[in-house]
Amino acid sequence: MDEPIRAQTTSEAIDPVLARLDPDRDRPTDVMATDALSLSFASTTVLRDVTMRARQGTITALIGPTGSGKSTFLRTLNRMNDKVPGFTHSGDVTLYGESIWGPRQDLLTIRRRVGMLFQRPNPFPMSIRDNVVAGVRAHGIARGEQLDVVAEMRLREVGLWDAVKDRLKESPYRLSGGQQQLLCLARALAVGPEVLLLDEPTSALDPLSTDAVERLLRTMTPALTLIVVTHNLGQARRLSDSTMFFFDGRLVEHEATETLFANPREADTGRYVNGLMG
Amino acid sequence: MAQVNQTYASTRRRRAAAVSFRVGTLLALALVVGPALWLVLGVVVRAVPHWRWNVLTTLSQGTSGGLANAVVGTLVLMAGVAVIAGTIGVLTGIHLAELATSSRSGALARGAIDILAGFPSIVLGYVGYIALCVGLRWGFSLLAALLILSLMVVPYIAKSTESALRQVPTNYREGAEALGMSSGYALRRVVLRSALPGIVTGLLIALSVAGGETAPLLYTAGATNNLPTFSLLHQPVAYLTYYVWTDYNQPSDAAHYVSYDAALILVVLVLAMLAIARIIVARTQRHSETSR
Repeated sequence: MDEPIRAQTTSEAIDPVLARLDPDRDRPTDVMATDALSLSFASTTVLRDVTMRARQGTITALIGPTGSGKSTFLRTLNRMNDKVPGFTHSGDVTLYGESIWGPRQDLLTIRRRVGMLFQRPNPFPMSIRDNVVAGVRAHGIARGEQLDVVAEMRLREVGLWDAVKDRLKESPYRLSGGQQQLLCLARALAVGPEVLLLDEPTSALDPLSTDAVERLLRTMTPALTLIVVTHNLGQARRLSDSTMFFFDGRLVEHEATETLFANPREADTGRYVNGLMG
Repeated sequence: MAQVNQTYASTRRRRAAAVSFRVGTLLALALVVGPALWLVLGVVVRAVPHWRWNVLTTLSQGTSGGLANAVVGTLVLMAGVAVIAGTIGVLTGIHLAELATSSRSGALARGAIDILAGFPSIVLGYVGYIALCVGLRWGFSLLAALLILSLMVVPYIAKSTESALRQVPTNYREGAEALGMSSGYALRRVVLRSALPGIVTGLLIALSVAGGETAPLLYTAGATNNLPTFSLLHQPVAYLTYYVWTDYNQPSDAAHYVSYDAALILVVLVLAMLAIARIIVARTQRHSETSR
């Protein structure tokens, strides 16, 4: 001890000590981040200079008018745009501090760690059970009877088990749209992602199914970090911790959701969240 | 309001157009269905009254006797074409749909396939005769017949495979991609599964075409009254269309009977292929979006 601790409260004295004991203290809490990301398809620039971070266990909503680049941005995060003809980018996207385009990164592993749920439910043309474990099989995570365990666990997780347990071998297309989307969610969760990207996950669903999916998504944090593109401003407010407003390929504003909706800093954000811009 | 019940001239025109369009499509349908039924019934009516089952078990004696050699020969030819043309055609189709989507080699391959598909079959047969039977000294043989028949139907199979793969919803591909499946794995486990009915249907139709073909076989398979042997070279192979064609031109009733019998067996074979195609489609489509 070189100097006596001169703290005014106990917590001020103890917090730094506790922080030093935390084994995760050097781990970045920003799970996904982008650094001055610009992106073009051939001569069309779709994203300009987007810098953002998504912290561990949060839900980030991406809002903005059609064509603002939010979906493109989302699809860049798991490298779904890589193969689009004319794709070029500058800046970087990082997952736990490492570039997703880094030389040591494996594309298929990135996609396993950063899962995706699409606008329209897209079960594969195979049985319900095979759908849930499709990714697990592809990555060799489990085999044989383990697959049944995985299927049951994930279907329970999304609240679909009771509805489908007697028809695991049947076609997924007999399920309702909402159930199909839950099935796709179970399939995405089955490979153990760290981040889940959701591209308007409820826009093809009725209000009741939407509610079920939203409630489920909220239970998935803090284990998962979610990034959700939505056209539904109510959904952004209900669901997300922070909201990013995209306009014309730029990230105009990224704030805590309440702040962004109540006190938007930028005029464009205000016009959009108040329904003055479509 | 009085105007409500008034029929405008434009409404009448629209109705007339709709009715004439409907009549047009029905007429076209009748033009397709009519001849098909007429052909099948014509064959059945002429063949069934004198049908004897031992046609299937006895060998041909030219213008009389049975057709066992031709039935077995046609089945062997179809099986061989299924293996050779099936493999090449399906692989070509996969390449065109999945790998050569925008490349120059893809355009080249598509051009080559279109040319091949447009070739008159008798020209293919003659080329086969000159190049294989005479040039390579294979004689009339199973292998020459198989290669030429395969060459003839590969374009059908490649085209139908390509279009079946192109019709696989982007949804499936994106879903597989987003799960971290490699493109090869996604192709095998998700995409091909969804395209399988189209591929199988194309393959079976191509086989029916091969089974009903005459011209290229005249030049490559030759003719024989014996069952096919296991040798690929130097041994002619019998086939049904040969008897349909040659015996119909003979002046005796017995020869005509053989001709109609051969035609009936071919028709039944083709119908069986179509039925098998339907069954396979139904079975593999259990989990598909279209059959709820």
